[in-house]
Amino acid sequence: MTDLLASPNRTDEWAVETHGLTKRFGENIAVNDVELLVPRGSAFGYLGPNGAGKTTLIRVLLGLTHADAGTMTLLGHAIPRHRDVALARVGAIVDEPRFHGHLTGRQNLQILAAARERAAKGRIDPALERVGILHRADDKVSKYSMGMRQRLGVAACLLGDPQLLILDEPMNGLDPAGMQDMREMITSLVSEDRTVVLSSHLLDEVERTCDAVAIVDRGKVIRQGPISQLLAGSPFEVQVECSDPDRARSLLEGTTFVSHLQVGPNGLAISLPENTQRDVVAEINRLLVEGGISVHGIQQIQVSLEEWFLSVTSRLGAPE
Amino acid sequence: MTNIPDVDAPDPGSAPAQIHAEAPGDHRGSWIPTRAMIATRFMELRKRRGLMITLIALTIGLPTLFLVIKLLLHAFVPHSYGPAGGFAVFTSLIAGVLYIFGFIAAMTLGATAGCSDLADGMFRQQVVTGRSRVALYLARIPAGLAIIIPMVAVAFTIICAVCVFSAPSSFDFQDTTVPLGLSLHGYQTWAADHPNLIICDFPYNGPCPGNEAEPITPLPRALAQRQAEQNYPTYAVTYDSPPYGEMIRAGLWLELEVIIAYVFGLWFASLMGQRMVPIILMIVYEIIFRPFLLSTKIQIPHLINLQRPLVIELAVAHFEPAGIGINYGIVNGPAGLQDSSHLVPESTAIAVAVIAAWLVGWTVLGAWRMATRDA
Repeated sequence: MTDLLASPNRTDEWAVETHGLTKRFGENIAVNDVELLVPRGSAFGYLGPNGAGKTTLIRVLLGLTHADAGTMTLLGHAIPRHRDVALARVGAIVDEPRFHGHLTGRQNLQILAAARERAAKGRIDPALERVGILHRADDKVSKYSMGMRQRLGVAACLLGDPQLLILDEPMNGLDPAGMQDMREMITSLVSEDRTVVLSSHLLDEVERTCDAVAIVDRGKVIRQGPISQLLAGSPFEVQVECSDPDRARSLLEGTTFVSHLQVGPNGLAISLPENTQRDVVAEINRLLVEGGISVHGIQQIQVSLEEWFLSVTSRLGAPE
Repeated sequence: MTNIPDVDAPDPGSAPAQIHAEAPGDHRGSWIPTRAMIATRFMELRKRRGLMITLIALTIGLPTLFLVIKLLLHAFVPHSYGPAGGFAVFTSLIAGVLYIFGFIAAMTLGATAGCSDLADGMFRQQVVTGRSRVALYLARIPAGLAIIIPMVAVAFTIICAVCVFSAPSSFDFQDTTVPLGLSLHGYQTWAADHPNLIICDFPYNGPCPGNEAEPITPLPRALAQRQAEQNYPTYAVTYDSPPYGEMIRAGLWLELEVIIAYVFGLWFASLMGQRMVPIILMIVYEIIFRPFLLSTKIQIPHLINLQRPLVIELAVAHFEPAGIGINYGIVNGPAGLQDSSHLVPESTAIAVAVIAAWLVGWTVLGAWRMATRDA
């Protein structure tokens, strides 16, 4: 038996840490040599298109299926060796949360609390209240909507007073109000110094909720880090309102720092390649003014996480 | 892969790693399930209303219905229908109803317990708690047995009560009233007064000379008394209320069968990950194959030593009370109510070892499957 107070291999730096993690299903590599570092106390998005291996990675992390290669730790505890110790402070929803339909929400949580420490039983009602379904706690789960089951799933996660929550597509089945509630809940959980790992393909939700992300494609993590930093190096667009867009286009066509120019109803749209420095915007303005064009306005349009994600993943998908 | 240093997220080093205190003494890697796990598993099974109704109908409903009908028939048409109680009714209900349907009920409950979490998607959520999968499996054993054992006990109690309190007070045979409840001496005396009836119409050890139905000549009084002494054990259990010792043995034997069926159903469903196929296979086995497995007709001379450990039913049959031996069609055999020669011979020690090994073996296999299954 493993005593939870004894916590070998504990490091406090990362909530999740994997090195070379690999999971195969026959010829298919669902998790491919994944190196992942999730800082404690943050909301971390794990992004990828359908079939990218997001859920498989979560299942491997939680010990629901074994890894074929690599090492991993949760909250500083090696998995699978100290899985029981690590999972004592982890709450997780994998795929859609499912429960015994013939039992009430409260009874389902009682079953899950019984598998945790004794104090978990006392957290049932607060957890139900926090996710907003305490008033339906004694209804059978078979009568719950998908959104209510998601909330019940989050309540189940909270039973262990988790330091780390791993939520797989938590926005699924939620209406706009429910999504807003979920966003607020995630924010509040992070504000309590818990770590939330959010797996999703809803990039907008991740961008609104998370501090940092990892992008996974075909089982491999291709980028990770704080969102602002990832987007900082991405291509962006500058919209120029000026007196003569066509002449402005001719002036800029000869420059090396512009990748694409297009005249539209709002003026001249200038696409700049990735890793472009902000000084380039000032340089564009200077060239236009020196060319005798009156510049009424310059607006930098930052690429969204979604656009960036698509550019990154589609580039990977393109034939080499 | 690109690793970008985290600058916006909170400093990981300052993360409050210990603010959520870890619970001391929470040995969730232990194989031993907690009382709360067993209690909630019990609740999960008990709340399956359809299943509970089915189990109650099979175990309590069927014998109760049978007894109620017998009681009513005897009450309204006593000359055509005998008493609802007595040892014969007891053996019929135990061997013909409760033994078979108790097995099916226990196996059905075991199969449900074995795969309900998988079917409902709760297995994954329980595994994520970090609790030992073996403990999750083992919690189902006492939880399910806490349902099926009392259920069978209630059915058994009803049968015993009716069979004792409604036992025949007399027995009419060939226009002669046979007194019941006689001592050996009393029975010998009565037999001496009715030598023809005793010798040729009660089961006894040895063929009846000549026509078995009709006596040839009355026997001398001394011979009739000797035959009565020989027949007394059969008389004592056949036409009277069931003896208490026999009832206790039968009850324990039934519960043993129920425990085995439950554990087997639990393992089988856990192995297959579903309920229906194991239940169908087990019912087919129970009704069709088991009687053959117990019969000497399929004894393979050079493999009898293999049959002993491989066929658990042989071991269970070893503990069958002597008076219950009618479920394999060997009632009224020339050696009495149970002819043990119809079973593969087996010592008590071997029978106990076989049952223990099978129970432990099934449990280990079920726990192993649970521990290695992808969740």
